[in-house]
Amino acid sequence: MLPHDGGVPSSLADALTDRRPSDDAAATDRALVDDATGRDLAVAVEGLRKQFGTGPDAVTAVDDVSLEIETGSVVGLLGPNGAGKTTLIKSILGMVLPDAGTVRIRGIDVFERPREAYAHVDAMLEGARNDYWRLTVRENLRYFATVGGVDPDSVADRHDRLLDRLDLADRADVPVRDLSRGMKQKVSLASVLAGNADVVFLDEPTLGLDVESSRTLQRELRRLAEDRGLTVVLSSHDMHVVETVCDRVVVMSEGRIVADDTVDALLRGDDAHNVRITSADFDADLRAALRDRFEVVAVEPLDRGARVEVRTDSDGLYALLAYLRTRGVALERVTTVEPDLEDVFVDLTGGEDR
Amino acid sequence: MSAGEFDAEPRPAGYYHLVRAVLYREYVLFVRYPANAVGGIVVSLFFFGLLFFGGRMLAGRALTDSIEGIIVGYFLWTLSVGAYSSISSDIGSEVQWGTLERHVMTPFGFAPVALLKGVAKIVRTFVTSGLVLSVMLVITDTALQIDLLTVVVVAALTVASVLGLGFAAGGIAVLYKQIGNWLNLLQFGFVVLISAPAFDVGWARLLPLAHGSGLLQRAMVGGVRLWEFPPTDLGLLVAVAAGYLGFGYVVFRLATRRARRLGVLGDY
Repeated sequence: MLPHDGGVPSSLADALTDRRPSDDAAATDRALVDDATGRDLAVAVEGLRKQFGTGPDAVTAVDDVSLEIETGSVVGLLGPNGAGKTTLIKSILGMVLPDAGTVRIRGIDVFERPREAYAHVDAMLEGARNDYWRLTVRENLRYFATVGGVDPDSVADRHDRLLDRLDLADRADVPVRDLSRGMKQKVSLASVLAGNADVVFLDEPTLGLDVESSRTLQRELRRLAEDRGLTVVLSSHDMHVVETVCDRVVVMSEGRIVADDTVDALLRGDDAHNVRITSADFDADLRAALRDRFEVVAVEPLDRGARVEVRTDSDGLYALLAYLRTRGVALERVTTVEPDLEDVFVDLTGGEDR
Repeated sequence: MSAGEFDAEPRPAGYYHLVRAVLYREYVLFVRYPANAVGGIVVSLFFFGLLFFGGRMLAGRALTDSIEGIIVGYFLWTLSVGAYSSISSDIGSEVQWGTLERHVMTPFGFAPVALLKGVAKIVRTFVTSGLVLSVMLVITDTALQIDLLTVVVVAALTVASVLGLGFAAGGIAVLYKQIGNWLNLLQFGFVVLISAPAFDVGWARLLPLAHGSGLLQRAMVGGVRLWEFPPTDLGLLVAVAAGYLGFGYVVFRLATRRARRLGVLGDY
């Protein structure tokens, strides 16, 4: 249960409390104790592999991917186009049948007991409308709650709060086709949250939303995960969304996971940092000497001297400053350049969109 | 105090709720967007007008003598086309909207939803084809024996076989997107199937529509009531309906499974 003032729902998280029918809870609790480490896993993927086509034209979209996602975490899935993100998500959901590997959602094998596993899952997939545009917003919520396994009458109040939180309350009885693109996107999300799913996959959830709506959505997704234990797997090209919302980032490239860590750890990276030094003494000769001795990543000539950016670790930084001192360089400005997630992403994937 | 404390526990939905949700959705779409239904009625009547008035000019009394049979056949054809095309194109639309994938990943799956949609389409088609039938009877100044129970049961079971074909076509269209449009041409073959009893070939009764069409003619033209048909005829009607529905379901399941294997389930 989440606290709020005076019975008025304070967040999307409030709107979605008491999601699980009690008869389902026992089965879920049993299913969650299957991890040897005792961690509470929402999703466990092991050795997943999917190849499309055969022979020389075969493409391995997902290549021996193993992944564990803890309950209540928000995981960002990043990767260039063609990296295998969508195939991985669809394979986890059983929409694509993999060649090898297992997927367990809340401890339930998706391929052996799909109906039970699907009681826990819903998804907003890339490029899909995801709902019925000729039905009203509220009709969509009721319909998808039902097919998701929940009696819509029992969650009618929750739907009201959900619509309220997503600023859709005054459009609740309007057919979706008559709404703006951004609102349609919000209806898609609302319909995903209308049932009883506690693991949701969101592919580009903020696409088409204005800045304010996107921020609201990011904030509410964050609160849901923290307060309600909702597990979110979020794929987005918007690094800011991933950086803001996600606890953890999984980066894919060419069907494999090339990085899997918390956002902070990825941003910290190794000990290496970029240091930007401005000096009037940086002439061509000195710049060439720096290139020979250090990893110079950028040089910006100025009217007097230049601004040089060097990638270096702590020891290297001492060596760099000592060298500049021996050359009698007067330092005008020294700054460290903090990488953002986009820098890390480009670094990990080589910045290629296949 | 939290918002959740004011709520009752969410209750699980059973098949009753699913039936209610799917049928309600079909009903809402029917009454909210009647243009499709009205358009279908107008087109059906236009073609019947061409058939009747054109045929009378060419064949004269020969056509007028067999007008009851033609009306019953045309009524069954509009029912068949309505059921077949609505379910096959509906599956295509669901793929395009991404809602088919979404249904597949629910505790119910897409199959019962599609079956319920099929039932709803048949009910809807009965309403529109019933209107077409009424107008045809007025235009031609013809009277038929319409025992509602007999007509509804026999026609529904007859059209069920076509519904099975619609499922199969929808499933194949999920797998091979381009074939979907070509499969729509099948509905013109229904004319042959509806007139198949005229061939008086035993195995033709196993074809979709053929046996049911014969029974419907006997009911609406000859005045035979449901309970007056030989049990073997009714049994065959049920068996053919169940057989083609089962066939359509199996093809749909196999096709969607193959589509999942190829990774094209949501492609359009």
